[in-house]
Amino acid sequence: MTNHWVDIKNADVIMMNGSNAAENHPASMTWIHKAREDRKAKLIVVDPRVTRSAAKADLYVPIRSGTDLAFFGGLFKYILDNELYHDEYVVHFTNAANLINADYKGPDELDGLFSGFSDDDGDGFGRYDRATWGYQVDAEGKALRDETLQDPNCVLQIMRRHYAGYDLDSVSSITGCPKETLEAAFALYASTGAPDKVGTILYAMGQTQHTVGSQNVRAMGMLQLLLGNVGRPGGGVNALRGESNVQGSTDMGLLAHLVTAYMPVTTSADPDLATYLENKTKPGGAWSGGYWTNGPKFFTSLLKAWWGEHATADNSFAYDYLPKVESAANHYWIPLFEAMYAGKVKGMWIMGQNPAVAGPNARFEREALLQLDWMVIQELFQTETVAFWQAPGLNPADVKTEVFCLPAADGMEKEGSIVTSGRLIQWRPKVAAAVGESLADHDILHLVALKLKELYQADPGPFPDPILHLTWDFGGGPTHPVVGELLDINKVAREINGFAVEDQLDDKGVVLAKKGDMLSTFARLTNDGKTACGCWVFTGYFAPASDGDGNTMPASKRRGQKDPSGLGLYPYWGFAWPLNRRIVYNRCSADANGKPWPGGRELIWWDAAADSGTKDADGKLILGKWVGNDVPDFVVTRAPDAAGGRDAFIMRTDGKGGLFAAMNEGPLPAHYEPVESPTTNLLYPDRPVNPTIKVWKTNEGQGVGDNWGTPDKFPIVATTYRVCEHWQAGGMSRWLEWLVEAQPDMFIEMSEELAAEKGIKSGDKAKVRSARGEIQAVAIVTKRFKPFTVNGKTVHQVGMPWHFGWGGGTGVQALAIGDAANDLTPHVGDANTMIPEYKAFLVDLEKA
Amino acid sequence: MTDRYAMYIDTSKCMACRGCQVACKQWNDLQGYVPGVRETVNTGTYENPLKLDPQTWTRIKFREYDDGERFQWLFLKEGCMHCAEAVCVDVCPTKALKHGPHGIVTYERELCNGCGYCGQFCPFQVPQLEVLNRLTGEAKSSKCVFCQDRTTNGLKPACVKTCPASALDWGDRDAMLDKAKARAELLKTEWGFPKANVYGEAQLGGLGRIYVLTAPPSAYDLPETPSYPATATLWQKILQPVGHLAFGAAIVASITAFFLARRNVHMEEVE
Amino acid sequence: MSVRLKDSKSVFQIRWIPKYTTLERFLHWMHTASFIPLALTGIVLFSPWLQSVAQSEGGSTVRLVHRVAAIFFGGVPILYAVLQPRRLVLHVREFLKFSKYDLLWLKAAVPYYLLGRHSAMPPQPRFNTGERLNAVVMVVGTITFGITGLAMWFGRGDMPQTLYQIMVIFHDLAFIVTVSMFMIHFYLAVIHPLMWQSLVSMRYGVVSESYAREHHAMWYFGDKRAKEMWEKHKAEEEEHQPAEQEG
Repeated sequence: MTNHWVDIKNADVIMMNGSNAAENHPASMTWIHKAREDRKAKLIVVDPRVTRSAAKADLYVPIRSGTDLAFFGGLFKYILDNELYHDEYVVHFTNAANLINADYKGPDELDGLFSGFSDDDGDGFGRYDRATWGYQVDAEGKALRDETLQDPNCVLQIMRRHYAGYDLDSVSSITGCPKETLEAAFALYASTGAPDKVGTILYAMGQTQHTVGSQNVRAMGMLQLLLGNVGRPGGGVNALRGESNVQGSTDMGLLAHLVTAYMPVTTSADPDLATYLENKTKPGGAWSGGYWTNGPKFFTSLLKAWWGEHATADNSFAYDYLPKVESAANHYWIPLFEAMYAGKVKGMWIMGQNPAVAGPNARFEREALLQLDWMVIQELFQTETVAFWQAPGLNPADVKTEVFCLPAADGMEKEGSIVTSGRLIQWRPKVAAAVGESLADHDILHLVALKLKELYQADPGPFPDPILHLTWDFGGGPTHPVVGELLDINKVAREINGFAVEDQLDDKGVVLAKKGDMLSTFARLTNDGKTACGCWVFTGYFAPASDGDGNTMPASKRRGQKDPSGLGLYPYWGFAWPLNRRIVYNRCSADANGKPWPGGRELIWWDAAADSGTKDADGKLILGKWVGNDVPDFVVTRAPDAAGGRDAFIMRTDGKGGLFAAMNEGPLPAHYEPVESPTTNLLYPDRPVNPTIKVWKTNEGQGVGDNWGTPDKFPIVATTYRVCEHWQAGGMSRWLEWLVEAQPDMFIEMSEELAAEKGIKSGDKAKVRSARGEIQAVAIVTKRFKPFTVNGKTVHQVGMPWHFGWGGGTGVQALAIGDAANDLTPHVGDANTMIPEYKAFLVDLEKA
Repeated sequence: MTDRYAMYIDTSKCMACRGCQVACKQWNDLQGYVPGVRETVNTGTYENPLKLDPQTWTRIKFREYDDGERFQWLFLKEGCMHCAEAVCVDVCPTKALKHGPHGIVTYERELCNGCGYCGQFCPFQVPQLEVLNRLTGEAKSSKCVFCQDRTTNGLKPACVKTCPASALDWGDRDAMLDKAKARAELLKTEWGFPKANVYGEAQLGGLGRIYVLTAPPSAYDLPETPSYPATATLWQKILQPVGHLAFGAAIVASITAFFLARRNVHMEEVE
Repeated sequence: MSVRLKDSKSVFQIRWIPKYTTLERFLHWMHTASFIPLALTGIVLFSPWLQSVAQSEGGSTVRLVHRVAAIFFGGVPILYAVLQPRRLVLHVREFLKFSKYDLLWLKAAVPYYLLGRHSAMPPQPRFNTGERLNAVVMVVGTITFGITGLAMWFGRGDMPQTLYQIMVIFHDLAFIVTVSMFMIHFYLAVIHPLMWQSLVSMRYGVVSESYAREHHAMWYFGDKRAKEMWEKHKAEEEEHQPAEQEG
């Protein structure tokens, strides 16, 4: 989230799109209700069915799964046609005024493609050369801008042309939503374009789990920029993360393309440190402008943390110890399982995940698991993956995988920090003893690391250094009766936080940090090996800080309840990265001259008379700094009218919010249908689907494989989702009696009209088929789904939870068992992130 | 009762997460799904269990309601209403059910002898009899007791504490009633719920649960006009005293008759 | 109707007439033995004054005793119907025969039982009016108890609430009426001096000849003759002539 949970109470309009927050983030409702009670805020929920969130909405907007870009496109057109965008904000804080290369062409001209597309094998999928997507620049390489927003090549005008075709009739025809409802939603949300109004967008997997998922998120970012809602209380682009610490996991780099803190993984294009850094910092590189120019300091400090005294300037800080991948994209989930199926992956180490149920095209993925020589799985219960050899249809004798199950401790049974969606890091104590010999994941890894070192010590092989020299001074934790000494989590936290390897002095020789001290800001990280830091965005989270009541403790342990501004920032509670900044991009909370926008909710502002804390060359006090209720996300002493005084988006190379910004499928979101769609692409008939996705065809046509369904055989749109009572693939909820009692069975929700057609009554069992599998589920016949009229035809939609599986087999079987919805979903993902398209595919069904 | 407390339940905020249902089970050590003992199945709704039972003292009812003006998915937290004129208290032969502190209708399981009258006379069919032996009739009643162990120690009921939507509150009944009326008014005038109403103000002398509803009570399968059953009045107020009178009269008549007969009946005339 | 006994030489011996069969007596006592615990346990649940007895394990036991006794209580008519169905039919017919003499009995009951005026009592069959009323009340009561009791025992939850409540009401009503009736029955059968032979009859099955002539004249003399005697007696009474008692 750019903002945070409590901040929702500051919104004037709340739009939930691709989120069922009442269902899956129930605690958010307190803040949504507060906004409605205290500020008369309105709640819009956009969803194919009336969910528990939509039941609370002021305006419910039904759209067919997979048509969000049509919805957003229509909203953009509405905003642009009616001049409802926040003019001053857009001019100064975004690249709306930037001029784009005159050779750029968009899908409105090229029938669904942008300029630069090449499809070598003519299969309809290819890649883009982005040369024509760049800014027009002056002699110094600075972008040309027209702040009157009139130049036909400026981004805003390009957007007008791009979205001209997304009129209400077309959008209604694509989404299946009535025109009046669309218009009402557009008018309501666009009202937050007024300078004194702020709107917030809450989204989750309903937006991301599509082949156009990244573009969906792009669209939300653009929307909030257009309306001037980013960086302001009650606004922002707010991803509601789906696990209590998934934010922490992405921050710590558990994605295939990152090391920690959003720094790219080392690839074969970066054979040495100098090249790695050069590739990032050269013009056009990811670290070529903005705050990321400090990237080398962060990366070097990371290497120093990992290899300590063995990482020196002489050996490029042990850069050679890092493995280099040929392409990060090959190691995302879907390609990983395709490779596994092809026998290229020998072993898999799983921590708290249930791919047998959660993976797309789950039958295919279960067969992929069979190819493993070994699997290690850390889990709480005997899930469907732990005992995958007992899956229905599998003969255990055919399974050659050696499976090691390491019993793991639950979240309450271990100490450490987690990071909420709002970037808030909270340290939690251990409050319950783990069962039997279950260990915390970090203790398991600790024991494994120690053992690895031992083995490499005894039998070094050709290159043991990365293991032997790996910093692992985390011992000294509690003693376990069976395995002995566990790790001391505080030591791990210290490394992640970052510390001074040697005394840090300022330019006058004053000691800023003594050797070994934790650092409180990443601004003190250096690229000379004198600092170490495991995750630069977290710096400060474990360093001592005040809780506002006179107590000092590691920042993420604080529970101070003071909220001086009344905006719900609670600066003394925990630690929000970066640097306890609660709302990022908050330069945008003030206008071009540093004055807060009207409407209350003042966050930060420029105080020209304040002592900046520095003196000029003549020793005179320099006045002027940014002050206010939050940590400024800006150079504190940079005046609004100074150079870069309006470059609010400090992590972007040009400091401007990207209305026009390149991604794999284009610089602007364009509507493409899901890979399995009931209809053609009304807007771009020649380009039904995102042309830059990768489509696999493993075993196409066979029982288990990458099979694709067409509307003649599978006319019904299906989506998957979660329910409040269960958790993800059910590993943590289907063994719990109170939750199972409330939601015992796999079900499918369908409209009364569809049920009547199929002769199904509520409570009947239904058989549901896709091109990839067949399952059974209890039918819930409801008024909350209504058929859509898409492109003149009736299109039905159904939905299912994906929590259920066959229970894990003999042993401690789950209390709730059922068929896995993911047996139906397709093995295809987003063009940028490969996130699977779980949310829109085709099925057919009948009474069982 | 001047220190009467009530539970405020705002169905307009409730999103049926079932946190209250689970918190109640956790606090009161009640069972959920136990294979072979207590199993639920999906009957075509999210609602489960479908009724209150000895191990379920509160639950959420789900109702789809379309009055032609606006479709609503209604959620209602069901449980003991803690009536001021509680029938269950009046018909309980053991005083296991009593009017306790704060107006809570308390329940002492040790005193209960399992007769089952409470559940059969409650206008809301709340108390659930847990039959331990069908033949001998050994049974115990069960129902929400507003977490009497918590609330008599200054804490809020477990469900109120848990609710993530802040849809529940617990406090002085007059204050809860005022809050409910203000909320219902707001729903009517500003949030587009012309049928918003408060349920629990005066029924059965005033309920211990004050509901803010966005649809008529019948949409939630709540009785529109729950009343003290005439049979209970007949039983408690008429039959019981009449019965005692009849027995008393019969005994007195017999004794009187004996003395009279002794005087008047000459045994020597009797064979 | 006097029976010649084997050793009938004595002229001073009481002559006993069989009145109740073995089964009648056995069932009567089975009825009594179950009715009393039922009434006692019932009143524990009925009366708020006995609430401490109704509580906890004691209360559960009270309810259990009630049910066990109920089985025997309900067994009485069933046993009768199984063992001597024809007698049962005859018996029932006896109970249901009411005539104007029953009205006269009611008028005569107070002078007879309270004031000892023997001459006031009209002739009665084997069961006098009061006994027949008691029987009817008991039969109706037993049926009511049976239906309502079974409903309350096994039917809870399987019938609409209001129906269950009505079952409770009728169970209560039957309880009040039958127990009140029982108290009077007990007084007249066991305590009242004039009726001392009723206990004998229910224990040994016989009444003396003179008792039969006085209390059950229609049974002893036959309907026609008893009525003639009565009418003659009434006529003589009107002429203020004391009626002679046959010795």
